[in-house]
Amino acid sequence: MYENVKMPEGMNPEVLEHLMNPKNYGKLDDANGIGVALDEKTKEYVIFYIHLEGETLKNVSFATNGCQDTVVIGSMFSEMIKNNDIEYAKKAIEKMHAKLGEMTPQQKICAELVFTAFIAALKNHDNLQEGKEEELHLLKMKDSCEATNMQEGTSNE
Amino acid sequence: MNKTYQKKHQLWLEILFASFAIEDEAIKSRLYDFSQIAFRHMKWLGEEILAQGDDYNYDRDMMLYKRETVFEVLHGLQNVIQETQSFYPQNILGQRIKTDDAYLLEYIQELLSKEENNKEITAFNMKREWDDLAQDQVDALTLFLFDESYKEYELILVYAYMQARTKNVLHYNIFQDLVDESHFHLKSFGNMMARLGILALPRELHEMTYVVKDLDQFVVDGIAEEEAAKEMCKELSDAIKDEKLSKFFDFINYQESYHIDLMKKLL
Repeated sequence: MYENVKMPEGMNPEVLEHLMNPKNYGKLDDANGIGVALDEKTKEYVIFYIHLEGETLKNVSFATNGCQDTVVIGSMFSEMIKNNDIEYAKKAIEKMHAKLGEMTPQQKICAELVFTAFIAALKNHDNLQEGKEEELHLLKMKDSCEATNMQEGTSNE
Repeated sequence: MNKTYQKKHQLWLEILFASFAIEDEAIKSRLYDFSQIAFRHMKWLGEEILAQGDDYNYDRDMMLYKRETVFEVLHGLQNVIQETQSFYPQNILGQRIKTDDAYLLEYIQELLSKEENNKEITAFNMKREWDDLAQDQVDALTLFLFDESYKEYELILVYAYMQARTKNVLHYNIFQDLVDESHFHLKSFGNMMARLGILALPRELHEMTYVVKDLDQFVVDGIAEEEAAKEMCKELSDAIKDEKLSKFFDFINYQESYHIDLMKKLL
């Protein structure tokens, strides 16, 4: 079930294709969950859009001002979780985390930005379901951009 | 009017990337000139939109198709130019833009009438070969070009966005210098990507990137980014065992130094 859960390895043709033509890139007009992960130090961000129907991620997209590692990971991750359920997406993050050890520190930071933005989008969806007014949910990354260091930020920014 | 702006933005990129994709130096240079004219059209349309109390954004809806011949590129460009005509305003600016586009269409028609112009396009073949560069150096160059071509595109649009909204003449002139400099960098990197066979459109800009609420903070962050870009150029210059390329990246590096000085004047 998780055979397509993988991280970019070197500059192979698949990675190159994600670089040249990132998948699921840009805004999602009918999103019902929008999350942002922001690295305040570098001002790099990932904004993640989800359209959830029940438990299924019917559509997802992302955008970033970050580096190409962020783009490739965002492109691969969004492809993996599209049309799957939330449980699958969370397990995919766990499995990708397990592979972070094989990556450069730079790639780890980029991966965390992508995953954190997705988690923020789920949080925004939950908040909207509960009737809260929130344009998007923002999670700020601390210095190292480690997911464990993330703190709740103000939303609607 | 935002739709008109978007169409012009896309047409600018279509002409620019056709120029990068085509190897023939005379055609490349001529198309590049037309792309610069298209960029000015975009600027003037933006000014007109703002003067009317309206606004525009940098949303896009386009693909860069992997064409295989010069004629495929030119036919594609011809179609986009023709599709865009109905969006122009019915005024003096609209007339000016239509006249420019008509002249470009004539030039394209002239190129299409000569079969010898129909050469192979290698800009999308993903071969990634550069003289005697080793594979790890080509990989480093590849990542640099993807990162920096996006950055230059981003800088052009962000500075143009701020230029259109400032009333300060000094700021206006500095933004113009920075836009001009980034055009040159984007041109250099785009042509290098085409040579490597990895020509691709820079990613679309999200409004979080170009709607700047705090100019001073933006400038401070921008200076830090320029410093990082300088470092990347230096690292690449040191890593690449090709004298010409190395010198080119040193040259870009020194240009970045002056950008920092220009940006400080905005504070």
